[in-house]
Amino acid sequence: MRRQVPLILCFVFGIVMIFTQFSPHSVSQTLYQEVISWALIISPFALVLATTTLIQTHVTRIRRRTEHWQYSFLVFVGIITMVVIGVPFGPQNQVFEWFYTHVQVPMDATMFSLLAFFIASAAYRAFRARTFEASLLLITALIVMMGNVPVGDLIWNTVLSWLPLEDGASGARQWILNNPNLSARRGIILGVSLGVISQSIRIILGIERTYLGGGD
Amino acid sequence: MELFGIWVAALLTLCIYSFLYQDNPFYRFAEHLYVGISVGYGIVLSIHQGLIPFAFKPFWAAVTGESLIGLVKLIPIGVGLLFFARLSPGHTWLIRYPIAILIGFGSGVAIPNVLRANIFEQTRGTIEPFAAMHAGTLSGWGVFEAVLMVVGVVCTLTYFFFSVEHRGPVKWLSKVGIAFLMIGFGSAFGNTVMGRVALLIQRADFLLGDWLNLIS
Amino acid sequence: MDRRFVYILVALAVIIPMLFRVNLPVSVSEPTQKLYDYIEALPSDSTIILAFDYGPSSLAELNPMAKSLLRQCFDNDVRVIALTLYPDGTTLASTLIQEIAEEKGAVDGEDYVFLGFRPGATQVILGMGSDISSVFETDYSGKATTEIPMMKDITNYAQISLLIDLASGSSTEVWITYANVQYNLQIAAGVTGVIISQMYPYLQTGQLVGLISGILGAAEYERLIDVPAKGMLWINIESFVHLLIVGLVVAGNIIFFNQRRREE
Repeated sequence: MRRQVPLILCFVFGIVMIFTQFSPHSVSQTLYQEVISWALIISPFALVLATTTLIQTHVTRIRRRTEHWQYSFLVFVGIITMVVIGVPFGPQNQVFEWFYTHVQVPMDATMFSLLAFFIASAAYRAFRARTFEASLLLITALIVMMGNVPVGDLIWNTVLSWLPLEDGASGARQWILNNPNLSARRGIILGVSLGVISQSIRIILGIERTYLGGGD
Repeated sequence: MELFGIWVAALLTLCIYSFLYQDNPFYRFAEHLYVGISVGYGIVLSIHQGLIPFAFKPFWAAVTGESLIGLVKLIPIGVGLLFFARLSPGHTWLIRYPIAILIGFGSGVAIPNVLRANIFEQTRGTIEPFAAMHAGTLSGWGVFEAVLMVVGVVCTLTYFFFSVEHRGPVKWLSKVGIAFLMIGFGSAFGNTVMGRVALLIQRADFLLGDWLNLIS
Repeated sequence: MDRRFVYILVALAVIIPMLFRVNLPVSVSEPTQKLYDYIEALPSDSTIILAFDYGPSSLAELNPMAKSLLRQCFDNDVRVIALTLYPDGTTLASTLIQEIAEEKGAVDGEDYVFLGFRPGATQVILGMGSDISSVFETDYSGKATTEIPMMKDITNYAQISLLIDLASGSSTEVWITYANVQYNLQIAAGVTGVIISQMYPYLQTGQLVGLISGILGAAEYERLIDVPAKGMLWINIESFVHLLIVGLVVAGNIIFFNQRRREE
């Protein structure tokens, strides 16, 4: 009941989705659409999982008085503010949108922009041409970086004006992305996809069961 | 209200940037508030744009007899509700049912589609230039690029092929694969720098333009 | 050198060119040109889907693209169905579309519609392949989808000329895997810098009909539609920061090799 039924459900839904995609028969297509609608209905409930995990983490922090535990109250203040306004009045409520636009958006954007500083610092401290492979990575990165900005072509057209090729910086960037980068990425895509397919088969057949978690 | 919002956004932005000096209470305040507001926003959207249209409306239609076919929808709604078992320690195992259905569904749809999108199509893309070569429509440079692509894809795949020991020719193929991967990662790094710096420029544009009005 | 000194240099490389505007010419790359040409070639009254699959953390790169694409579509009488698979992008997309619609005089329900967000990316994409209104029964404002004038003749992807995915994650691959393979929907993408490199295999096979690459692509697109905006402004500022970072890498390596030579 606790492990066998989920394994059977997984097998049935997996097999149904594989076979219905190959059959244009009306019964098969109705079944296909019905399973999609089931998945659509079930997936929003997964919200409960994510929310309870976050709440439990912060409740534990407060209860155990771990370092900076007081800040966990702010997490609840944020959640409650948004839920109290948004659930009854909807996401198009002006106050709800105000909090999104003037609190969430600037903080989200700023949080990720911090990485620009860290990348610059790391570029100075750690980006070294120690080996042949590291040199390849470094040279490619420098070419792409210069090809990505208009000043790259300006420098090329000024300093290397005697060359027959115009806009060489952006041209070199585009060639790298179109050729060696494409090959490497394609290799990765093929490898990952073979992995996804084999893992999916293992899941459907019940060989891979880690999604069931521990316990009985 | 708009001006007040800009001031709030600017101060929160500065709170986050204060982390560049060192970890401090202003940063921790903004960080925790950000988590709370973001999660609250996600909850509201998931309820209004997920649970209400997919679960509550069909449920209500079935209960009020508006749509008797909708009674079938009560099954996936019931399965979805099992996610709430996460809140009761003794019944947590019940969430395996909806998870098993979603995982089975995901695995089932993935197998044929990933096979076609990522294995067949990518293999076709690798071989196709040789058809143009055979037809005599590919220039000398095009032939070089086509060969380079095949070499890159094969060598990258060899690097990820762990079923044979990397010795002799396999070792050399794998080394060429690493070179291609390094170029791929180098170009990704160059592009990532562009992305992260753009985020920083956007925040600076907000602070200097919208907040301080220093940009005309 | 203290890391904070590097931070100050980075900040100055952004602030100084922002205060003293610089205008360098931007050349247009082939993937961006392809998408522009594809939209230009669409007959008027065609319908495209614009998927806002990103949140505020990527707005700097993707908002300028979204604005240019909407301007081009409204100018060419191409109707736009907008939606998002990311909850965080919902209000962002709604505000942006309204802003450009007001600027271009586009009418909600006739020239464009914003369907909002639905959870479960794969099932949403597959569900829309059968019937868009089965997934989006109403638009974001609550109007029944089937009663929206521009949706009257639209049932599923068969009536959609192109889907443009503005992506900050793996959503473009998901659209390709499910909508392109299953329903033969033509797909293009506008992506953040982080994922540009991984899009190229799909571009070569034609699984992507065009690609706008990060803030550079946004600037290129602004040049193509001849409406210079944030993309053009920011890519010029970006030039100075890239020069600084290249300089830092070179300086770091010179110091490293000098030290190594001395140690030997």
